[in-house]
Amino acid sequence: MIQEIVINGLINGSIYALLAIGFSLIFGVARVVNIAHTALYMAASYFIYLGFDYLGMSSLLAALISILLTVALGLVCYQLFIKPIREHESAVLIATIALAMVIQEIFLLAFGGNYLGVPPLATGYFMLAGVKIANQHLLVLGAAFLALIGTWFLLMKTRIGLGIRCTAQDREVANLMGINVNREIMAALGISVGMAAVAGAIVAPLSVIDPHMWLHPLTMMLAIVVLGGLGSIKGSFISSYILGFTEAVVVFALPMGAFLKGPIALSIMILVLLIRPEGLFGVSFEEER
Amino acid sequence: MLLTVSNLTVIYDRALIINDLSMEVGMGELVGLVGPNGAGKSTVLRAITGLVGWEKEVLRGTVGGDISLKGKVVFDGERIDDKPAHEIVKKGLIHCPERRRPFREMTVLENLRAGAYLVKDKAEIQNNLDNVYKLFPILHSRAGQVSGALSGGEQQMLAIGRSLMFRPRLLCIDEPSTGLAPIMRSEVFKKIQEIRELGISVLLVEQDVSTVFKMTCRNYLLSSGKIIAEGSGTDLLQDEVIRKTYLGL
Repeated sequence: MIQEIVINGLINGSIYALLAIGFSLIFGVARVVNIAHTALYMAASYFIYLGFDYLGMSSLLAALISILLTVALGLVCYQLFIKPIREHESAVLIATIALAMVIQEIFLLAFGGNYLGVPPLATGYFMLAGVKIANQHLLVLGAAFLALIGTWFLLMKTRIGLGIRCTAQDREVANLMGINVNREIMAALGISVGMAAVAGAIVAPLSVIDPHMWLHPLTMMLAIVVLGGLGSIKGSFISSYILGFTEAVVVFALPMGAFLKGPIALSIMILVLLIRPEGLFGVSFEEER
Repeated sequence: MLLTVSNLTVIYDRALIINDLSMEVGMGELVGLVGPNGAGKSTVLRAITGLVGWEKEVLRGTVGGDISLKGKVVFDGERIDDKPAHEIVKKGLIHCPERRRPFREMTVLENLRAGAYLVKDKAEIQNNLDNVYKLFPILHSRAGQVSGALSGGEQQMLAIGRSLMFRPRLLCIDEPSTGLAPIMRSEVFKKIQEIRELGISVLLVEQDVSTVFKMTCRNYLLSSGKIIAEGSGTDLLQDEVIRKTYLGL
């Protein structure tokens, strides 16, 4: 049981980290609370299914194409629905909820409510210190770590990352440094949706694909972001693993635990809001204008 | 003239903030823009460097988003009032904002690198960095620290240093002395003079009139969005009405 908790905790945590960091990033940079974030993650899973099952692509090619398609979808949606109302925060919130539902309904219409699946990229398992580890799990972990390290590198070590971080901290002063704020927002959105798409792509072979698969990760992601502190990338990263492991413990150690994972995440969220509303690494946003 | 502002008018939500203002800054000059609180000094700078235009675009359709900007701003022979803020920077018109506003969660070095965002050549960035460190040695010893943890004076040095990282030709500094201890103030003013000696023109917005008048070539006195007097510090101080009413001296 312990090894299952460790493996699943790591996998859950990594996937939540991919989702929550992207969510935090676009909130920090553009103040957009993107409820449709996990709907885009679902879109990536469906695109893989589409590429693999309908078009006969290899799963790797289907995964790559689905990530690109999802990013494109995210950017188009932003330009069409979010950008014109970006300064109206509550309108943005409502628009992203609507967008998520539209995406859900489109997939429901297109594929029905059936549970779909794609085969794993790697089969078989190997033994490590007497513990059976599926190759697919290892692949998922590797891909997730790679994506997380890639994002870290992009944000901390490149010029685009510098521009994005400046924009997140003070949009107006970023302007004064010659940073094109709108372009940085698009870049940040691309990275954010890209991370969600990577999460969707690596989750697809592990679970079932259905039009409601975005709801549970959404709950978890919101709980994580509240625990970590809204807008804090470090906080999102750490609390992703906290909640990822909590979920694994609940599922594997409690009887009927699988039904409890949502309620427990929400209870953690409520507790954090009551005791420490700014979260573990709360970012206090400076007045901007 | 390096910078020529003519008939600048800024209206925020029907409130006339800047009223038909015209001013100039010449090559190599250090010009003061002084006036009482709320006179619109910062808004003048924000209009020149494109921030009012940016606000107008961003806030369109929101409460308080009804902003009107009229007039003509010419920098180095080119009209810039219709250009976005991040384009204006490219010409070397740099704005060092009020309240210093460092990127608080980033280190001193990262802040300076952000100032050099437009510089693509690594050697040039290093060269600019060395120059800034020469002017503000304290920033060198604080390079790895998070800028939010610096003292007010150090943050001001950082803000000015950051504005020097990209080939400035005219540096607009907004209230550098606010909230600083007297010894820090004179240090900051000394640095501003050193910057001018490097051949960079400076437009200085300040409340601390007595110090500014000793440094500047010319001054504009702003009150309620209008320029009511122009001249050297001594000239302005000689006028009894100006001295008592607007400068409080």
